[in-house]
Amino acid sequence: MKLVLDQYAYLDSPLHRWQQDYKLVGLLSLIFAFAFIQNLWLLPVMITITWILFSLSEIPISFLIKRLRYPGWFILAVVIFLPFLSGNTPIFQWGHLIIRQEGCWDALLISVRFFCILTVSLILFSTAPFLSSIKAMRSLGLSQVIVDMTLLSYRYLEELGEMLTTMQRAMKLRGFQPKRLSRRNLEVFAQLTGSMLVRSYERSLRIYQAMILRGYGCQVNSKKNYWKLEINRSNLGSLLATLTAIATAISLIVMQVFLPSF
Amino acid sequence: MSDLVQAANLLSLKTKAISLKNLCFSYGQERAILTDVNLEIAPGESVGLVGANGAGKTSLFLTICGILTPTYGEIKLFDRVIKPGQFNPEIGLVFQNPDDQLFCPTVRDDLAFGLENIGVSPEEVTTRIDAALSLTGVTHLSERISHQLSGGEKCMVAIAAVLAMLPQIVLYDEPSANLDLRARRRLIKFLQASHETIVVSSHDLELIIEVCDRVVMLNQGRIIADGTPQEIMSNNSLMEANGLEVPHSLIHYHRDREFGIRDLGI
Repeated sequence: MKLVLDQYAYLDSPLHRWQQDYKLVGLLSLIFAFAFIQNLWLLPVMITITWILFSLSEIPISFLIKRLRYPGWFILAVVIFLPFLSGNTPIFQWGHLIIRQEGCWDALLISVRFFCILTVSLILFSTAPFLSSIKAMRSLGLSQVIVDMTLLSYRYLEELGEMLTTMQRAMKLRGFQPKRLSRRNLEVFAQLTGSMLVRSYERSLRIYQAMILRGYGCQVNSKKNYWKLEINRSNLGSLLATLTAIATAISLIVMQVFLPSF
Repeated sequence: MSDLVQAANLLSLKTKAISLKNLCFSYGQERAILTDVNLEIAPGESVGLVGANGAGKTSLFLTICGILTPTYGEIKLFDRVIKPGQFNPEIGLVFQNPDDQLFCPTVRDDLAFGLENIGVSPEEVTTRIDAALSLTGVTHLSERISHQLSGGEKCMVAIAAVLAMLPQIVLYDEPSANLDLRARRRLIKFLQASHETIVVSSHDLELIIEVCDRVVMLNQGRIIADGTPQEIMSNNSLMEANGLEVPHSLIHYHRDREFGIRDLGI
């Protein structure tokens, strides 16, 4: 089953062959380790690990750049002021404008952490179908309600988009010119948004009724298929990869604690 | 005939699949949607529910299933009083829009949804899914994405999803809406072969004639008429008074009855 979200989920790289539940444990531990890093000496290590994982995933760099673009603008807005506001050691001064050393290091640390964490997250969710990721998270203990909400959003988001497209077409066929900025157009957009909200609410009500009629909410003797550690030939590779990732994460944390700061 | 079989036969005659007594429903202070509905449906019956838009057909279905709380009256399924909000596995409802009840990523997941909710074992889930897919003739769609199916396919998959729960009563709300002729014919054949107690609400009166052996007419929340399809739907004045028309296939039946023309057997 291939959808837009699963653009590169069906490649045949080592990371694609890594079972999703094991991959989740391994890469999440790496992500947490990255978030823990404060020492600038460890930034090249983080970048190297991230680069290795990205190379192994065989995902095109253009896909990474596309996905990092908007979060990148956001993080830029956060870090751009740090060199001017954070710290006490000036390294450059131009009039009242002072660039401080601690601010520059903080900006570098946040930027690299952001880049590495986001890249590893992208690798985690792009190297397997979205549904496999959800099932893996469920088996690792994610709340059933959140899983259901995510799956339903995934299921109906496309339909909402189609509904919106149909309504926009109908409007255009009756002479509406959306690109013109006017008070009337703004009113029409507001009405369209309101209409979509009401329709999606009514739709969700009917869907919920259908779910109740098939026993949703009264799970009886439901077996929770939690993740079980099983060692056999088929998952040995995944298990070793996970252990390697966990060991790497632990090493990073140990280095963070014992290495002298920059 | 043994005493046991005789007793079972008597019991099945006495037990009603659906029994509605003085059923009333309204949304808050608004006008009544259902007023004093009394209806009994025996196990195995195929009943058609007809009426103009806004007659209360869908509201009646939702009330019988326990989704809506009646303002007055009693609902029994196989002699058991049902409480609103309670899950009743013996009854299933096929919605008018199959997209409202196909909410899982794949067809197989959709069929498994209800079974997993009621705690059916994984082996039994697989068996029931395969049986339901086979019964509705959509085994080849089991791994497909639900929302990418055609209208007819969605309709049959939605039916399969309900039948997988093994209900004894199935309510069909406008099942032939948006179906092409081929899909509609397939649906009719399927409904004709059903063994469950079925109630079909439809504006497609020809479908009602082919599938149902009893028709109940609803108007403004009240039961206006109850009888065979030929009796009810060939009555031109009754149909027109309730916002309906005599179906084409019964026009001659209506004319023949009106003019007392007998079939000469030529």
